[in-house]
Amino acid sequence: MSSSNDAPASPRSQLVLSCFEELLDLAVADVASECHRIARLGLDRSVDAEEEELRLWAARVAGDHPGAEDGATRGAGGNKGAPDVFGQTHPAIAADVVDCMNCGRPVVAGRFAPHLEKCMGKGRKARAKTTRSSTAGRNRSSNGEEHSNHAFQES
Amino acid sequence: MTTPSAPPPCAHLAAHRLTSRPLRFLRRCLRVRPLGRPEIRRDAREVPRCSPCPASSQPPPRLYACLTCATVFCPSHAASHAASAPAPGHQIAVDVDRAELFCAACGDQVYDPDFDHAVVLAQSTALHPPSASASPPSASASPAAPRKRRRVDYRAWAPDPAEVALVRSADPTTSASAAEPAGLRGLNNLGNTCFMNSVLQALLHAPPLRNYFLGDRHNRFLCPRRTPMRHRTTDAEAKAACLACDLDEIYSATFSGERTPYSPAKFLYSWWQHATNLASYEQQDAHEFFISILDHIHENIKDDQPKSHEQGDGDCCIAHRVFSGILRSDVICTNCGFSSTTFEPCMDVSLDLDSGHNNCLGVANPKPHARNGMSSKVSTLMRCLERFTRAERLDAEQKYFCERCKERQVSLKQMSIRRLPLVSCFHIKRFEHSTVKKMSRKVDHSLQFPFSLDMTPYLSSSILRSRYGNRIFPSEACDSDAVSELPSEFEIFAVITHSGKLDAGHYVTYLRLNNQWYRCDDAWVTRVDEHTVRSSQAYMLFYVQKTLYYKACERAAAV
Repeated sequence: MSSSNDAPASPRSQLVLSCFEELLDLAVADVASECHRIARLGLDRSVDAEEEELRLWAARVAGDHPGAEDGATRGAGGNKGAPDVFGQTHPAIAADVVDCMNCGRPVVAGRFAPHLEKCMGKGRKARAKTTRSSTAGRNRSSNGEEHSNHAFQES
Repeated sequence: MTTPSAPPPCAHLAAHRLTSRPLRFLRRCLRVRPLGRPEIRRDAREVPRCSPCPASSQPPPRLYACLTCATVFCPSHAASHAASAPAPGHQIAVDVDRAELFCAACGDQVYDPDFDHAVVLAQSTALHPPSASASPPSASASPAAPRKRRRVDYRAWAPDPAEVALVRSADPTTSASAAEPAGLRGLNNLGNTCFMNSVLQALLHAPPLRNYFLGDRHNRFLCPRRTPMRHRTTDAEAKAACLACDLDEIYSATFSGERTPYSPAKFLYSWWQHATNLASYEQQDAHEFFISILDHIHENIKDDQPKSHEQGDGDCCIAHRVFSGILRSDVICTNCGFSSTTFEPCMDVSLDLDSGHNNCLGVANPKPHARNGMSSKVSTLMRCLERFTRAERLDAEQKYFCERCKERQVSLKQMSIRRLPLVSCFHIKRFEHSTVKKMSRKVDHSLQFPFSLDMTPYLSSSILRSRYGNRIFPSEACDSDAVSELPSEFEIFAVITHSGKLDAGHYVTYLRLNNQWYRCDDAWVTRVDEHTVRSSQAYMLFYVQKTLYYKACERAAAV
């Protein structure tokens, strides 16, 4: 069957071809019978409605600006200086002040997580300063802070 | 999609059912091959042939046997048999390889409930022979119908004027001062914590979870695990933190009516005390966080229940009650048809995001050609679910050991949903981690998802029924999963999207409240239209059962 149409039709290749055709006919009849049953018994979902919805959706998405996949920058949400639905505006780093549950100190909310990480002694970079010499501890934690700020710019 | 219903029979089928002897004799000829394929053979080794066809011609794909005289013929000779047969009543035949009825006079396949009933019985007998050593699922042993929900009589109720005044004054959504729905409040980013904020927003507005906490079902002032909020020095005291209590506090804060952004600092602190391996100042995966807090809530409050329950039973804690469903996994030997079934509880469904079919709808606009083809990769949630419940072939190294054949055989594995949770969370696997290439990447393809979702095609009942030919009246199949009366319609209420790159990205949650979509980007809550949500890159989708989803009522006509 890999040969083209002009190859001589040997009895063996004819037999192979007729076998394939028979199998293909059987498979087609199987699928036709199943689909006929599904359609007659009312089991198919409204496939047309689904196709239509998908068509509309694809058309809408394709008609967008090329940056459409990046939903974060679209529309009203992208501009963080604009007022929110309650008419409020907020700074990029949250200015709310919370009291740390670990040490009790007031911390700016936008910087709470890095503070807590060091405060609780968790995380890869921050380690409790008491376990090593004070110099080494200071170097490591300051490196960690720099590293984190560099790698994860977006909040 | 409902249970199959028999269409009205054609005149010939109706006449045949009245005048001919019952189809009982057909049952004796019904033989079931592995994987449930029924066929009609008088003798196990019979090879049917069409007598009118010349001996040398290609065998036809379908052969029919007349129900009255058992003559075998092919479709091209069907009409002549019906017309020329000596006695009337030779119009109805049966496809010998597929056990489907055929009306030779109409030239079309027809359906009869009694015949399907016989086929289903034969299939169940073949699948679970009475003397088999394999144990069928224990639920199938009972002949009783599956547990029906008790129905209560409907009683009409109308409020009196005093009640109307009370409700109107107390309801923040209808009182004049409230412009926006209750519980809508921004969450401050505490430093790369958008993954936490996005999941919290979705949880805050999951109806059953919201109702649980607002209904004071877990009171943080009465919780036994609560220790006074003092400086905790020992680990023992630190581990007494209860995530459910902290969640209760967030509910109180966000539904208080206060609209300035809230800082979920205590929640972060409590979570870090529990999930020590994830506790660090860096971006986390929102889905991992979601699973982590559900797990810890379970650990915190499972002991509050009087009896201990199996996980997945749903009664151990509110997290399972809301999110836990049951997945069914069937492995079927293609050689002998023996199937082994396992059930596992799941808190969400993780779906692969393939590149999806290319825009086979016929490109409606000329733009995609000008672009790099990004927009032509369209996957849909329903197709992902179809793929999830598709029968997968296990062969080569993955051959399964069949207990009946006592050797490894090529098998089919198929997943389906046995029980749907109150809230279905779908996690779209956008982050690929390849150990081979030693790299991770994010899959950016867009995903189409519906706002109303019918999960019926993915239930075990539907999957089982279609596996055995979609026969009418499957109620007597011995597998209790074959019948399903459970509600399966869902409405979306939250979408968590991820934008940006793998390790430097941003999570945003879209919430649907009172039929209006809101975008919750940390502290910034804004209104958006449907279109923005549909074209966003969904990472986690939250659907709630339609019966628990309250559609917004008109403000003026409230109460």
